[in-house]
Amino acid sequence: MIEYMPRESPIHRLNPLAKMTWAFAVMILALIFNQIDYLLVILGTVLIVAVLAGIYREMLGVLKGLLMFAVFLVVLQVLFYRQGTVLFFLLPLDYLPVTREALLLGVAMSLRMMTVLLSFVVFLATTQFKDMVVALTDKLKLPYDYVFMFMTALRFVPVFLNEIVKVREAQAARGCQVDGHHPIVKVKAYTQVAVPLVLISLRKAEGLAIAMETRGYGSNQRTYFKEQPITRIDRVVMMAIGLFVVAGVIIRLQGFGMI
Amino acid sequence: MNVYEIENLSFRYGPSKAGVLAGIDLSIEKGEFIGITGPTGAGKSTFLKCLNGIIPHFQGGILEGNVLLNHNSIMEKRMIDIAHCVGSVFDDPESQIVSLDVEQELVFALENIGLDQQTMEERVTEALQMTGISHLRHSKTAALSGGQKQRVAIAASLALKPQVLVLDEPTSELDPSGTKAVFEVLNQLNRELGMTIIVATQKTDFLARYASRILIFNQGKIVLEGKPQAVFAQQEMLKCLGVRVPQVAELAYRLQKNVREIPLTVAEGLNYIQRCL
Amino acid sequence: MKAHSVIKVEDLVYSYGDHRVLKNVNLTVHAGEFVAIIGENGAGKSTLTRHFNGLLKPLSGRVVVGGEETKHCKVSQLARHVGYVFQNPDHQLFHNTVEKEVAFGVKNLGLSTQTIQDRVAEALQAVGLDEYRDSYPYDLSKGQRQRVALAAVLAMRPEVIVLDEPTTGQDYREMMQIMEMIQVLNQKGHTIIFITHDMALVAEFAKRVIVLCEGKILQDDSVEAVFTCPDFLKQSFLELPSITQLGNGLSHPEISAPFLTVDEAYNTLKPLLGGEAID
Ligand SMILES: Nc1ncnc2c1ncn2[C@@H]1O[C@H](COP(=O)(O)OP(=O)(O)OP(=O)(O)O)[C@@H](O)[C@H]1O
Ligand SMILES: Nc1ncnc2c1ncn2[C@@H]1O[C@H](COP(=O)(O)OP(=O)(O)OP(=O)(O)O)[C@@H](O)[C@H]1O
Ligand SMILES: [Mg+2]
Ligand SMILES: [Mg+2]
Repeated sequence: MIEYMPRESPIHRLNPLAKMTWAFAVMILALIFNQIDYLLVILGTVLIVAVLAGIYREMLGVLKGLLMFAVFLVVLQVLFYRQGTVLFFLLPLDYLPVTREALLLGVAMSLRMMTVLLSFVVFLATTQFKDMVVALTDKLKLPYDYVFMFMTALRFVPVFLNEIVKVREAQAARGCQVDGHHPIVKVKAYTQVAVPLVLISLRKAEGLAIAMETRGYGSNQRTYFKEQPITRIDRVVMMAIGLFVVAGVIIRLQGFGMI
Repeated sequence: MNVYEIENLSFRYGPSKAGVLAGIDLSIEKGEFIGITGPTGAGKSTFLKCLNGIIPHFQGGILEGNVLLNHNSIMEKRMIDIAHCVGSVFDDPESQIVSLDVEQELVFALENIGLDQQTMEERVTEALQMTGISHLRHSKTAALSGGQKQRVAIAASLALKPQVLVLDEPTSELDPSGTKAVFEVLNQLNRELGMTIIVATQKTDFLARYASRILIFNQGKIVLEGKPQAVFAQQEMLKCLGVRVPQVAELAYRLQKNVREIPLTVAEGLNYIQRCL
Repeated sequence: MKAHSVIKVEDLVYSYGDHRVLKNVNLTVHAGEFVAIIGENGAGKSTLTRHFNGLLKPLSGRVVVGGEETKHCKVSQLARHVGYVFQNPDHQLFHNTVEKEVAFGVKNLGLSTQTIQDRVAEALQAVGLDEYRDSYPYDLSKGQRQRVALAAVLAMRPEVIVLDEPTTGQDYREMMQIMEMIQVLNQKGHTIIFITHDMALVAEFAKRVIVLCEGKILQDDSVEAVFTCPDFLKQSFLELPSITQLGNGLSHPEISAPFLTVDEAYNTLKPLLGGEAID
């Protein structure tokens, strides 16, 4: 899900810093507003960026996954938020009232969550690991060690998921119905995966550390093979994003965009 | 000049563990092509880990004796300094890949030691060419087949152009032509750049053809050592140890127990048999 | 009478993303065969065999195992017919003793406790690991771990056993042990399909060889036929065992068939060389 998707697009060509600025701007805007139409507009812009990047179809898939969470959030709101005008009752005999406010709040929270997560997924899908490292260390002057460790941890997620798949394949190949529908068998199989997974991961992490140090990692004379310069386009984009955020804050301070 | 001097080296993985290396004495000269083989569990990988500094810098354990690299003790050198002159390829290609794509994997070490972009570009192109994976330059490392991963690992350590190259089973998952290509590259580095090559492998056919000296390990000791011709003449012993003898050498030995120059390669074998016929 | 077919592959096409790895593969494996699959790195060998137990499903074409199309089967169902020994043993061991590890697959078959115990004991004996039954699998050497994985499959007694490079990283003795064990299974009636890069093993053990090259089957024939085919080398980037190369290089009227093993070469050459060579 958080993998780089190679495409030829203007979004891919942007400097990672510009994209990072964008993702943070989306987050700020999504957090300061809680009115549904405002949030829909923000989510719309994220989707437009996904279209420009040529990863619209994949992002729709992600969105579908997020929708499940969204429904969950709405249900939670409905169950625990009881103030406001009652629209209808979930159970007969006036049990579990559903209020207008609860619904609106739930939908707003879901939209917020979807917008923020999706913008980060778009960022990760359009930015290469190595460019991110360079941008963070060379341009933002963050310490290389921490950046590399953080990025490696991030990178380890798909590796880890891949290991789970492999172990489950091995279980299925020995007749265990992990691929079936029986819940107890599945839960049992999952607990069995845990042990080898921890072992394999530990060994992987150790191997990685060794491989890095035997290739000179940790010296302080580091150079970079491909530096992505910050172009004029990047500057313009970042400035525009900055203006949008400022505008958003002003609108919010005027009292718009809140329920 | 000696690159390595190993004095009475012994190692155990822990106080309660059995000894894995038991008193090894060895010098390795600059420009040698050392082949190491022996049964599994004999201590080959452990020995190589002592040469590239993983023991004692990463792997804990009880080390006795000394390993001198260019006359300095490995224990007192920093890992970075060792990495400058010793390139390593490990037995598990999966766990030594650090980066997401092949190009980045090769560049990783070069960035670490601070080369300029021009030099990096040249080194990367050259290493990819030598290992025959130029077409994989922009591939994702996760999508490679086992053999392709192994080539990437070799290319990555080649790009550093170290003084010594230590390789542990670098071709275990490679096809015959890939294995041959790797040994040809090692041979070329050895001949043209005078790079010292130390390689552990079960593929004795290739050691017979390329190594200048072969070490046979068993139970933590070097039990047999010498030029390929001499080593592969000791077939009773090799059979006892479970070491594979090149087919041509085995045939020649069975046909005539005390051959003067035991043939090792197909060409030598043909020569030998035609002489006898 | 020809034995029945256990695996039938028709026009199999498979891609990872837009990288086409298998291009119209057709093949049939009959019961009791001993098949080696060879080919250069990345030729698609693992990808092909992973279709045999349903780990991968065809993008187009059909794979029929034991009369059923794999598309409609779960891996866990197919496991009853097809055992798969993965290349990396560390992905298939997930118990804390060797015995439990080997019992895992058999238990999934739903047999009686007694039968399970018998089968586990027998499998452990077959791979020579009786004395390690209580060991922790990760404490064993890689060669031993590979044999645990093999025993785990053996105990299930599948009709077909697929082995993806079962001998990498093993020393010669372990390699021979594993291959001889597989040979015995084949003699007992199991169908064996193994992937390897070791041409000497192919020559010595396999009866049929499938050469895969860039996702297509280049050749599918007996070992003798494949190893005497002159185009073999050029097209498939493979190399004959050195003893076969040696035999092919000798132009002698008495040598007609290719040498597959050192034994064969010895038996042919010894009388030719006569007394003076062997003192
Ligand atoms: N991390 C470790 N902890 C404890 N024991 C270990 C460790 N690594 C290896 N050993 C043991 O040390 C011995 C030698 O292992 P080593 O890996 O050096 O053998 P090897 O000759 O390289 O074998 P192979 O051909 O299988 O690679 C083995 O008996 C092994 O079980
Ligand atoms: N999970 C994957 N995702 C994408 N591509 C893959 C994946 N697995 C394999 N490939 C690609 O498919 C091709 C065939 O791979 P496969 O593993 O079947 O080769 P192989 O014949 O088994 O090779 P080897 O001898 O190196 O194991 C390779 O080019 C490889 O890069
Ligand atoms: Mg080893
Ligand atoms: Mg494979």
